[in-house]
Amino acid sequence: MVVATKQGMARVDELYRERPQRVKELKSGGKKIVGYLCIYPVLEMMTALDLVPYRVVGDMREPITKADSYMPPVVCPFLRSCLDTGLKGKYDFLDGMVTSHICDVGSSLSGVWNYTVKTPYHYHIDTPHTVHETSLEQLRGLLGAFRKSLEEFTGNKLTDAMLKAAIALHNEQRALVRELYELKKPDPPLISGAETIKIIKAVQSLPTNEGNALLRSVIADVKARKNGPVKKSARLLVWGSILDDTALMEMIESLDANVVMDDTCVGSRPFFEDVKPTADPIDGLARHYLVDIKCPRTFRAWDFYATKKNYMEDLKARFSYLSDYARDWKANGVIVESVRYCDTHGYEVPGVRDYFKEVGLPSIYLEHDYTEGALAPLRTRVQGFLEIIG
Amino acid sequence: MASIYFAGIDLGSTMTKVVIIDGSEKVLASVVQHTGAEHRRLANRVMEEALGKAGLSVDNIAYVIATGYGRINVPFADKQITELTCHARGVAFFFPKARTAIDIGGQDAKALKIKDGKLVDFVMSDKCAAGTGRFLEVIAQALGLKLEDLGPLSLKSTRKVTISNICTVFAQQEVVGQLSAGAALEDVVAGLHDAIAGRVARMTRRLKVEPEVVFTGGVAKNAGVVKALEENLGCPVLVPSDPLLSGAIGAALIASETVAKLQASGTFKPMTGRRLEAASFFK
Repeated sequence: MVVATKQGMARVDELYRERPQRVKELKSGGKKIVGYLCIYPVLEMMTALDLVPYRVVGDMREPITKADSYMPPVVCPFLRSCLDTGLKGKYDFLDGMVTSHICDVGSSLSGVWNYTVKTPYHYHIDTPHTVHETSLEQLRGLLGAFRKSLEEFTGNKLTDAMLKAAIALHNEQRALVRELYELKKPDPPLISGAETIKIIKAVQSLPTNEGNALLRSVIADVKARKNGPVKKSARLLVWGSILDDTALMEMIESLDANVVMDDTCVGSRPFFEDVKPTADPIDGLARHYLVDIKCPRTFRAWDFYATKKNYMEDLKARFSYLSDYARDWKANGVIVESVRYCDTHGYEVPGVRDYFKEVGLPSIYLEHDYTEGALAPLRTRVQGFLEIIG
Repeated sequence: MASIYFAGIDLGSTMTKVVIIDGSEKVLASVVQHTGAEHRRLANRVMEEALGKAGLSVDNIAYVIATGYGRINVPFADKQITELTCHARGVAFFFPKARTAIDIGGQDAKALKIKDGKLVDFVMSDKCAAGTGRFLEVIAQALGLKLEDLGPLSLKSTRKVTISNICTVFAQQEVVGQLSAGAALEDVVAGLHDAIAGRVARMTRRLKVEPEVVFTGGVAKNAGVVKALEENLGCPVLVPSDPLLSGAIGAALIASETVAKLQASGTFKPMTGRRLEAASFFK
């Protein structure tokens, strides 16, 4: 039924240009496709029931026209774009939509999507925002409820065994993504920051086992090719809000810099920690999704109290993994970016920049607005930054 | 060494500036023209004018650096460097003790931190007309005044009016309201200068403000804004004799330094057959 198409980076390019092509094929073969927003919906639980998780993102190159009737314009343009894309019918192939409490706007979007885009199955996981034991307990309960809902939706029982198998499969993907990121350590890196986004986005448009196969073929492809990125003076780490389009990366990499590492969510964030094996798989999943994924939407309150209310000690507890990234990937500068109106990342910017200053890593802050047009002034800032650190 | 020449071209959103220097950092010619729609494509015409003034031909120029918003529109440049780095260098040339530079141009405002004559940090505001030359242009036009009259007029103020609106368009409305309520024109203009200076001072304070503070760009020719900036920053503000040239001079100086470095490592190859022509990607 399905003709084997291209492999490696050629397949990535194909999927980046037209993301839903594979899931539409699978749907016509009887599979159910479940969209998810952000990296907090628990994918293992969907994979375990043979649902195909499909990451919902916006379209930076499409002007937002319909979403303004349902969401105020002074909120995250990425989320508005997601809604706009849904309202324009681009997600009509979804059988389900699972969201989580990313931020206030994300939660509101969940409700609005349910009323307007009307994806047949809809579920919202009200993921807590702190990492106390009581929050973990709450998330375990919420995941129990999610499990029941999925069982009702599919008409199948979700056993612990099925869940453990799905966890193993997703951990395999995480390990493969980390293997891919190893290829960014050499100088020059074997793949660019822009290519990394394309690859992750392609992987997040496929069922997990196919995503894993794609990653393997990309890794082989990239190791063999001769036309990878060229050596540049700067090696940069990018931290911040979702970058689901290559435009900003391409702008940065058109200058004398390679982006060698990132802490973003169409990037390293969902993949750099494995779900730990636990007797009750829900325990491992709750801990992974709430505690191990490092995103500013989770407030690490226990770190603050543990470091005795010392600002710099608190920053080190929250951000030391970033200096590890910079050390291991040999980054000599950081681009701190957030999309306009993103409070979640915006409030984190002063702290994360103070941390980078403390550890001697020069950084620059770019606020962008999820459009292609406004990149020119950002180019001057990035070039100015490179002239300073060069 | 004196008979080697360098050029810096600062292609701004409003004005295009060209400076030609020799190997001893002496300025041989400087030209300032309106960028307009034409000059974005025709930086070569401004360059020709500068060459004429210096009595040189384009073949005499060893190295050209282009800077400013339109720096990619200079096909005959050897290199493009941001106006951030070039302004810092130019300001340090005029005022060797400068540590903070503020540049308010036609469409943006920048604050630069300078250490040992080089750029070490910066902050930019270019998403909004408020706090830029455009703000003053809009207001001057609305008041039926010439831009160059705003400064002297505001210095006559005895009771400056507070303009509360951040937005240029709404500030304009507020000005009309104030005038019809009987406020004196010089007090309103002083208030506008305070608004623009306050906005730029707030932006500048994101970098620690250290003396000497230098103010450049077209708006620095307005004595009223200079005064308002000093009041808002709480320290003296120095202005070069030609506040528009710091970017182009900085670019020319960096050109000179670049060639010196390349010559020292034996890798300098001057561009041959440099042609002054329009940027071709508009055809």
